[in-house]
Amino acid sequence: MGKIIAVHSYKGGTGKTLLSVNLAAALARKGRNVCLFDLDFRAPSLSALLKVKAEYWLNDYLNGTCEIDKVLINLTGRLSNSGKFFVGLANPTTEAIREMSAKDRRWEMHALGRLLSLRNSLLNNGFDYLIFDTSPGLQYSSINAIVTADLVLVASTFDKSDIEGTKRMLRELYDLFEKKTGIIINKVLYDESLRNTEDVRKSMEQTYQSPILGAIPCFCDVSKAKGTIIFVEEKRSHPFTKILNKIAEKIDEMKVN
Amino acid sequence: MTGQDNLGRKSTKILEKIRENLEKLNEKIEIMIELQRKGKREMQPIPETPLDVMTLLSMPDHLRKTAMTVCRLGRATAEEVAQQTHRARAVESAYLNQLVVMGYLKKEREGRKAYFYIDKESRE
Repeated sequence: MGKIIAVHSYKGGTGKTLLSVNLAAALARKGRNVCLFDLDFRAPSLSALLKVKAEYWLNDYLNGTCEIDKVLINLTGRLSNSGKFFVGLANPTTEAIREMSAKDRRWEMHALGRLLSLRNSLLNNGFDYLIFDTSPGLQYSSINAIVTADLVLVASTFDKSDIEGTKRMLRELYDLFEKKTGIIINKVLYDESLRNTEDVRKSMEQTYQSPILGAIPCFCDVSKAKGTIIFVEEKRSHPFTKILNKIAEKIDEMKVN
Repeated sequence: MTGQDNLGRKSTKILEKIRENLEKLNEKIEIMIELQRKGKREMQPIPETPLDVMTLLSMPDHLRKTAMTVCRLGRATAEEVAQQTHRARAVESAYLNQLVVMGYLKKEREGRKAYFYIDKESRE
């Protein structure tokens, strides 16, 4: 049985989408069959980032107007020597975003049921990983994704308010749902990254009282790419790629069920 | 068929009926015990409130665990829920019935087994 991973954070701009795309690609490059979902219905970005358009969106699947096979787009060809790499996109039109933010609690409950059923339809049918890229904070769609997931990857920065918010979410959200968590410290500043990475990891682990899966320095090359490339595929020897590969390895070894 | 066979079959039916009624009685007693232990306020039905993630978040820990398991399984008996939560069947039975009383779950009997599920009308 595979794993469902939700990539979440307290604040926006922590690098969730960058981490989701590159982690999905790193796992696929390890030979795993991966499906990446854009569950950030307030600010969908995978469609623009991966330069793909869909006939059916995840919005349609959650609305119950189509099944998941209609939504999935096969991007395996974008990666070399990989397992399957599929994506499910959120509709980025303003009308769709407006419509999704006006959904009521009953619809959200129905959407949770649809997300939970992906375990049977996809994980039991050849996929090793489902990765959910979510909206930051306590959005309905994000909490639905967290409840569905086996592992929550929390992207955090050194920003003081982000650290405080992440600490609260660990205690008051992930713990309440008994979710296994792994924290990724992103955008570690130059002077911070000069310190021994083991010290950074230990100090953050003490702050969060939760395992740190990796610390990623703030690489200018990553910022310059503007999210237009799958970094781990195109820059294979870059330190960012090496860190992502290590995180993928740790996740692959984790027992979550 | 002998008169003794008939008598035997009747006795078995009566015993089965008694067992079924005892199980129902047991469930009711479990609910009453829970009501006394947790206080009545917590168990008041909340009409029109769906079992969504915000409701799950606001639930006491012991009920959240049971409710989440039903969410995952879709439709389950107390025994099946207990296997997932590693708690006693009787405990899960009490929590499941509590969630029924609160209006979050529906209950359906099939023979001797009682199945718990989230109201289909609110899910679909």
